[in-house]
Amino acid sequence: MTKGLAIIMFSGTADKFIPLGVLTQTAANLGVPVRIFVTGFATPYFTKNKPQPRFPKEFEDMVPALLQGMEKIKAPSWYDMVKEAKETGDVKVYVCSLIAEMLGIKKEHLDPIVDDIVGATFFMKETAEYEVIFI
Amino acid sequence: MPEITVDARGMACPGPISALTRAYRNANNGDVIIVMATDPGFEPDVKAWIERTKNELLELKKEGGVITAKIKVVAKK
Repeated sequence: MTKGLAIIMFSGTADKFIPLGVLTQTAANLGVPVRIFVTGFATPYFTKNKPQPRFPKEFEDMVPALLQGMEKIKAPSWYDMVKEAKETGDVKVYVCSLIAEMLGIKKEHLDPIVDDIVGATFFMKETAEYEVIFI
Repeated sequence: MPEITVDARGMACPGPISALTRAYRNANNGDVIIVMATDPGFEPDVKAWIERTKNELLELKKEGGVITAKIKVVAKK
């Protein structure tokens, strides 16, 4: 079994947040540590003023069925999955300091789900022995 | 020893294992957790969870689309 998951969350479309929630919660259920590095277009979704989630235009035609299916199975939101995983296991959410600087995001703007603003060096060292997943 | 029932029917991956994990967090060694699920991935998933967490699978049965796992909690520290 892996020593941990290092998830780099870059994409900002709603579909990409589903695997973030599922992988994070599954790892927590199995006692596998998770470190999430939030950067790029995903960053605004980890602030207090979250934008409306949007789906990628190229899969627009699939979205209604996907949303209906999620409602049918009462799928929890990615946010609730990550939040619960933080209660269950060893899960930390870091926002990339580069993107934070670029977007003028300070610690007080971040959602409580975020643990800290860190640089890539800290993240790489902390997850040196983990599997890396880029979303 | 207490028996805890977890009804995860209708939930999809990883919901049933998350529900099991929630129950497990509050359980003690010797307790039995019974999970009912309809997710088609539940059988291999619960076996993997058992192997990873080193608890004991007492029984696994399938009846009319419902998979029931009976788990003995033995690995709590």
